[in-house]
Amino acid sequence: MPKCTINGKEVEVKEGTSIIEAMQQSGDRIAHYCWHPGLSVAGVCRLCMVEIEGNPRVQIACNTMVTEGMKINNTSDKVKDAVKWGLDFHLINHPLDCPICDQAGECGLQDQYMEYGKYDPEMAEPKQKKHKVVDLGPTVVLDSERCILCSRCVRFTEEVSKTNELGLFNRGDRTEIGTHDGMPLDNKYSLNTVDICPVGALTSKDFRFRQRVWYLKDAETVCNGCSTGCNVKVYYNREGFFRVKPVYNEQVNGYWMCDEGRDIYKFVNKDVRYVKAQVRTNGGWTEMHAGAAAKAASEVLKASAGDSAALVLTAQYTVEEFEAIVNTFVNEFKSKKVYFWINNKETFDSFDNLLIRGDKNPNTKGLLKVLEKHGISATWADLSAGLSSGAIKTVVVAGPENLAVFPDFAERAKEISKAQNVIWLQAAKHDALAQMNNNAWIIPMKTFVEKDGTFINHAGLEQKFKKATVVVSEALTLTEAALLLSGKNLTIQATPANEFLPLNQRPDQVELEARKKNEFVFKRGSL
Amino acid sequence: MAEAKILTEFYHLPEYQTLAGYKSKGGYETLPKALKMQPQQIIDEVKASGLRGRGGAGFPTGMKWGFLPKNGEPRYLLCNADEGEPGTFKDRMMMERAPHQLIEGMIISGFAVGSNKGYIYVRGEYVYPIEVLNKAIKEAYAAGLLGKNILGSGFDFDLDVYRGAGAYICGEETGMISSLEGLKGQPKLKPPFPAVQGYLRKPTIVNNVETLAAVTYIVKDGAQAYRKFGTEKSAGTKLFSVSGNVMKPGNYEVPLGYPLIDLINKECGGMKPGRKLKAVIPGGSSAPILTAEEVGKANLDYESLAGLGSMLGSGAVIVMDDSQCMVDMLGVLTHFYAHESCGQCTPCREGTGWLDKILHSILEGRGRLQDIDLLIKVADNMKGKTICALSDAAALPVLSFVNKFRDEFEFYVREGRSKVKGTTYAEMHH
Repeated sequence: MPKCTINGKEVEVKEGTSIIEAMQQSGDRIAHYCWHPGLSVAGVCRLCMVEIEGNPRVQIACNTMVTEGMKINNTSDKVKDAVKWGLDFHLINHPLDCPICDQAGECGLQDQYMEYGKYDPEMAEPKQKKHKVVDLGPTVVLDSERCILCSRCVRFTEEVSKTNELGLFNRGDRTEIGTHDGMPLDNKYSLNTVDICPVGALTSKDFRFRQRVWYLKDAETVCNGCSTGCNVKVYYNREGFFRVKPVYNEQVNGYWMCDEGRDIYKFVNKDVRYVKAQVRTNGGWTEMHAGAAAKAASEVLKASAGDSAALVLTAQYTVEEFEAIVNTFVNEFKSKKVYFWINNKETFDSFDNLLIRGDKNPNTKGLLKVLEKHGISATWADLSAGLSSGAIKTVVVAGPENLAVFPDFAERAKEISKAQNVIWLQAAKHDALAQMNNNAWIIPMKTFVEKDGTFINHAGLEQKFKKATVVVSEALTLTEAALLLSGKNLTIQATPANEFLPLNQRPDQVELEARKKNEFVFKRGSL
Repeated sequence: MAEAKILTEFYHLPEYQTLAGYKSKGGYETLPKALKMQPQQIIDEVKASGLRGRGGAGFPTGMKWGFLPKNGEPRYLLCNADEGEPGTFKDRMMMERAPHQLIEGMIISGFAVGSNKGYIYVRGEYVYPIEVLNKAIKEAYAAGLLGKNILGSGFDFDLDVYRGAGAYICGEETGMISSLEGLKGQPKLKPPFPAVQGYLRKPTIVNNVETLAAVTYIVKDGAQAYRKFGTEKSAGTKLFSVSGNVMKPGNYEVPLGYPLIDLINKECGGMKPGRKLKAVIPGGSSAPILTAEEVGKANLDYESLAGLGSMLGSGAVIVMDDSQCMVDMLGVLTHFYAHESCGQCTPCREGTGWLDKILHSILEGRGRLQDIDLLIKVADNMKGKTICALSDAAALPVLSFVNKFRDEFEFYVREGRSKVKGTTYAEMHH
């Protein structure tokens, strides 16, 4: 464990630690672009300059290992001058288009210029022109002029996705990143290149021009796209959710997440959601308050308690919710007819050896744990038989949030509709539910970003997460639904309609009210 | 001049290109001796000879070989024949006139460093030398001098020629390794150094053509014989490729320490009639320029030229007479470096382009007086800030040209034309 001195402070680090890592450990700030802890060291931006006692030249911190007794400094005038010039070299051909750049507000170049730069530019020559709006593939667009050639994206495709679509082409200040001939950037992790791009060169087709980032709030949660349970950050405002990015977790996802997981915000937004309960009892559909609908449905459920009541669960709810609803069924309705609706059966156990798992549910382990605890071992065949014979009269379904990963949704809905009464707890709209012609209650449910809870991932790791905000104010959690379905009274705190509340806002974030005067939103951009 | 024909004694003989011709002059007589020695003995002999790398950096060859790991891991011997530095053409002559001399040197060096595989990385434009080398390698294989169990020694050594695709940076050893690996020719971060992790991440020795060719002589006649030439710190002889305004440009082998002015006046026949010596770049275009006065004090060895703020480099002596415009000359050089920067490290990628643009603003009559200081500031901040030395190679000429011939730059900015030629850039070049 070598000890070194960084800006006068003694720091002890593990053997093989680079200076830049040691500085992160010590809390000392250091300019850098090309270094990324999840990628190999490129050493090309030349900004992480430090002075090491005994060495006349400044050196890069990313490729220099700490040795015992090393004295490191990055606050001297010599280092500041080197960084200032490093920034100048980066900026001489960089367009000053921050007002229209998607990265504005979270741009490394902006941040570091404000911290280490602030000088009068000396470049009087015309800037080097490069390609604009380069379509790299289905998900990413490149603006070559903004690219500072840190090579993070290239290294990502070489080292992480191992798809090798990207390369550095040409030489000198004509160098540009691009895709190899006939090989678009089209892999299941492509949007990580946008995350790690320190400037606005790589932009997500899905997100670009839709929001200025300073109008977004963010909250950390767990991705519910598959059983890996990547730690993610969701970005939202009163207009809805706009994007998802990974959050580092060494045990789960490292620095990355898959492109599929980026879509999870789409089934959270109001335009695809049930905002009121839909009830069909006398041959026609009527809208009701979700809580009132659940309460009304409880009468039907009580009437068919015991073996004529069944519960179907998808593994997209929290452990706490599973516990509440299964407990209600087993103890209140005296029924152990609880069924696990498994989607994507053929690929359920597959894994791409990076992050993506065939089990497209965040909490299969959590569901199985609860079922096992209650001694439940019913199979789907039992349900089918009960529905066909008419023995099962009432079915409660905790439907999936992410309908895209339930390709058999319509087919299952049709099968379940054989029951006299169906109480379908569901966040997202689906035509198959509107086609039910029995007694039906479709009750809007909260999504994973609207509640606290726990997911247990494929490896058995329990991950707790907190509510980010409320999208559909009337929607219920499965726990609330369980209470109401069992006939209990429940006081639900009303939330104002059409309002996204910042429930776990960071202390340093500006209050929504202070900003909304300038708030605006673009329609989705296109090439 | 000193008689010092270690490398070039038989270059004038056309048959020296062939195996028979090379053998007739004692070629391949050292190889059996070397193969009977212990590899470490050869390394020690090379160390004792004081041989320094002839590619430009001047790093002690034996010491470089000593950095190889001792674990017997497979390793490679790469001959750097990229020779892309403007003004340098000495290796071309060696490959054309004496290919077997290089091949013998490589077999001996391969044996010394424990390598069974060598590549000669030749710049793509050297079409004829590549043909000659390939022919010579074929002859050597047919004669059992390459391949399995060379001369019954149990030592195997295979050799191939690799034709580069044309990038100056591929002459930098790690850039060359990247290129040989099929990647874009870009230098790699050091550490790890190639001796530890080089070609295909295996221990690799990279030596210049001239360096490897000199090994044969050192093994044949011994380190002390080699040390009879040159100075204490710059032992042996060296090939100098002289270009520019001299009467007889060409390649010359002289002992290190030889006076630069003698090379110009005696070997090269002096300046062209009616012209005076103005300046010399002594070691390839990246070496800082020397004024005529400094040339008079300069000896062709590492320490003398370093003492004058320049360097021996690859031994490419570019001589300029009083008709040369230094602003125009520097414009050519900066354009070359801006074109050849691999684009990897920011100060070099952007800095070389910036220097080029400033220089051409001046040359095209749009220059400002502050641009002269800006050239110095930009060059100063490129120096020593990158993975390889291309950034320094671009910066050093700028610093030396501007510092030593500032009046020409100031005149050009003020008048919009060359002080020496009296013409504008457009008139000079069209």
